[in-house]
Amino acid sequence: MKEKLQAFLNTSISAAPLISFRLIFGALMVFSTIRFMYLGWIEEHYFEPLFHFKYWGFEWVEPLSLVGLYFVHFLMIISALGVMFCSGVLFRIATILLFLTFTYTELIDLTYYLNHYYFVSLICFLLIFSPSDISPFKIISEQKVKRSTILILKIQITILYFYAGIAKINYDWLIEALPLKIWLPAHDNIPLIGSIFSWEFTPYLFSWIGMLFDTFIILFLINKKTRLWAYIAVIVFHTLNGLLFQIGVFPLVMIGIVPIFFSDKWHERFIHFILPINRKKKFITKKTNNGLVNIIFTFFLVFQIVFPWRYLLYSGDLFWTEEGYRFSWRVMLMEKAGTAFFYVKDTKTGREGIVNNSEFLNRHQEKQMAMQPDMILQYAHFLADYYAEKGVYQPEVRAEVYVTLNARPSKLLIDPSVNLVEESDSFKEKSWIKDY
Amino acid sequence: MNYRFSLILISLLIFISCDKEDIEKDTDPFDRSEMLNNYANNIIIPAFNDLDNGISELKLSVELFIGDVNEVNLVSLQEKWKEVYRLWQYTNAYNFGPAGAEGLSRGLSEEIATFPVSSTKIENALSSPSFNDFNRDTRGFLTIEYLIFDIDGINDNIINAFSSQERKDYLLGVVNNIESRVDLVVSGWSGNYLNDFLSNNGTDAGSSVSLLYNEFVKSFEAVKNIKIELPLGKRPGQVQIEPHLVEAYYSGISLDVLGVQLESIENLWYGKNKEGVKGLGFIDYLNSVEGGEELVASTIDQWGKVKLAFNAISKTIPLSNQIENSPELIEPLRVELQKHTRFFKSDMSSRLGISITFSSGDGD
Repeated sequence: MKEKLQAFLNTSISAAPLISFRLIFGALMVFSTIRFMYLGWIEEHYFEPLFHFKYWGFEWVEPLSLVGLYFVHFLMIISALGVMFCSGVLFRIATILLFLTFTYTELIDLTYYLNHYYFVSLICFLLIFSPSDISPFKIISEQKVKRSTILILKIQITILYFYAGIAKINYDWLIEALPLKIWLPAHDNIPLIGSIFSWEFTPYLFSWIGMLFDTFIILFLINKKTRLWAYIAVIVFHTLNGLLFQIGVFPLVMIGIVPIFFSDKWHERFIHFILPINRKKKFITKKTNNGLVNIIFTFFLVFQIVFPWRYLLYSGDLFWTEEGYRFSWRVMLMEKAGTAFFYVKDTKTGREGIVNNSEFLNRHQEKQMAMQPDMILQYAHFLADYYAEKGVYQPEVRAEVYVTLNARPSKLLIDPSVNLVEESDSFKEKSWIKDY
Repeated sequence: MNYRFSLILISLLIFISCDKEDIEKDTDPFDRSEMLNNYANNIIIPAFNDLDNGISELKLSVELFIGDVNEVNLVSLQEKWKEVYRLWQYTNAYNFGPAGAEGLSRGLSEEIATFPVSSTKIENALSSPSFNDFNRDTRGFLTIEYLIFDIDGINDNIINAFSSQERKDYLLGVVNNIESRVDLVVSGWSGNYLNDFLSNNGTDAGSSVSLLYNEFVKSFEAVKNIKIELPLGKRPGQVQIEPHLVEAYYSGISLDVLGVQLESIENLWYGKNKEGVKGLGFIDYLNSVEGGEELVASTIDQWGKVKLAFNAISKTIPLSNQIENSPELIEPLRVELQKHTRFFKSDMSSRLGISITFSSGDGD
């Protein structure tokens, strides 16, 4: 059995899908980085804020100077180009740099966590182990790679879609058609189809179709007979999402990388189409032992499959407490918002002051913080440190946070009497979150 | 082949089985364009026009006063200032579009209504006035207030100070600066911006609804955060009350204009203009969405408590005095405003699906 698996993973197959994947993915990274810089988000997200929310375990990640940040983003663009066109050592360096630069920028502030940024980081990570002995400039049909190198990418994409699909199997999504019931009417001004968004029927239809699409689409992409229609559905689905929601380049990314499921012949034609050059020299394929890489991939996959289920270890409503919510492909799943007031008490005088959040956080940060308990905790610790420096004696910090979830009346999220300074963020359950 | 046919078949079945009326049976979709039209043409533009006219009259009063510095002209100027500053409260929630931040300029509120003003900076600036730099606490309405209202109410102090030609020039310069800024806003709204505003009828960041909503919330939050909490010394860093931080400190009409601002915010939410004539507003928008009616009820209920708390405060004693002598009497208003915040802030934007920032992925 094990030998069969090894043989299966080590089978030599056409490198074409991987070559075009790297071309498309690299191009998307170039585009999205340029867009990010153009929109002024380097300044707005990383440079201007007084305070950054950290990822657990990555508190040491700090934003560089503005010049440093721009340098990192230029490096990102160059590495992406390297992923597209380079081979050999240069390719390896490019993938490592791309992973490091992109992941670094993501780690600067938890506020901007998005499932698709996480996905991009993962793909960049996997590409580090991608074969370096292939090139879009040599004869395509003669280039081969081990099956595992392409399969791992397909599996990761499958995990994303499948988990996003089963995450939609919940009461609010399927039975109440929430949050689409809120989001669709808010976009009924879209030309042509906008008017159907305010029909009572539409959110239910879209909720069910969305769940079924995410859960099963990969099956229809694998099957050659349904592939064309499946891909059309992919384009329609993601384009619609892109029109409806402010999700940046994510629709383009998915539309661009799903073709990895297409045939080798298709990829050969595609590469010839976008790079119509004369290819003469054949690339000498090195004989590599993929043993270590396969082990890494195995651990990677086990983690990816198991980690999204960690929410089961916590009591309480997942959408409310968000313990185990991130990194589990819960994409655009709920409408949640909060208002948070923080009280800082001087323990010597007993004087309790109220914080004006806009002195410390931008609107995006404030919005994300007010509905996620671990960010509330981080902010509370920051406030304690900040005001201690200003002369407040051993501050106690408590917070009154009202949160609304999927159009329901807002309620207190956490116990407003708890001194958050004494609580610490860990994977243990947070006892100070109130019941839903 | 089979898959394709079954997909088409299922879709057809779904559509056939539903009556067209069933599908469309929902209430008429809420007309955001109509709401924007009401806000722009019945509320915002008239408010800015009224302000503009008021400023012209204010300028006349200024010119009259500096032409002949006496008690009569001063009192008349002071009354005119109060009148126009009240008009300002009806326009301070619209710091977008022509009144929004542009380049180095901040929004209109910051440019012409910053407080507290810096008396030292103003006195130093008399000899070399500049009304377009970063010293926003040396210009605007509250600078005029500082110049024409004596904190102890002794008009003679003002009259004596205005023997200085520099002072007269400065006063005129401040009102001219306000006039030119507001003129720009008025011409912006009577020009292309109105069309842009009306046609941008989505709920995404940068849409008119999003801009209007964001500024509405900012105006509301300023009442508690800036106009009440700072003078009450409520920030963690503050160790005592600071009554001089109230709005309209020198004239003493702080509570008066606070009441006007609360009324203006209430009107905005209802979609009413100054005269109380109601068109489509946020209340109607909320009533048309999932979970909206319940929020409307909570909002009206809590706002009632805000008004009660406000009305319970004596209007005959200036706010700064009350804060100095009996701050606990102001605290209930602060509390009710804080309780109200979530209804205007997170609850409302969440029900309506309004995007409040450009950054991607609210909800991802």
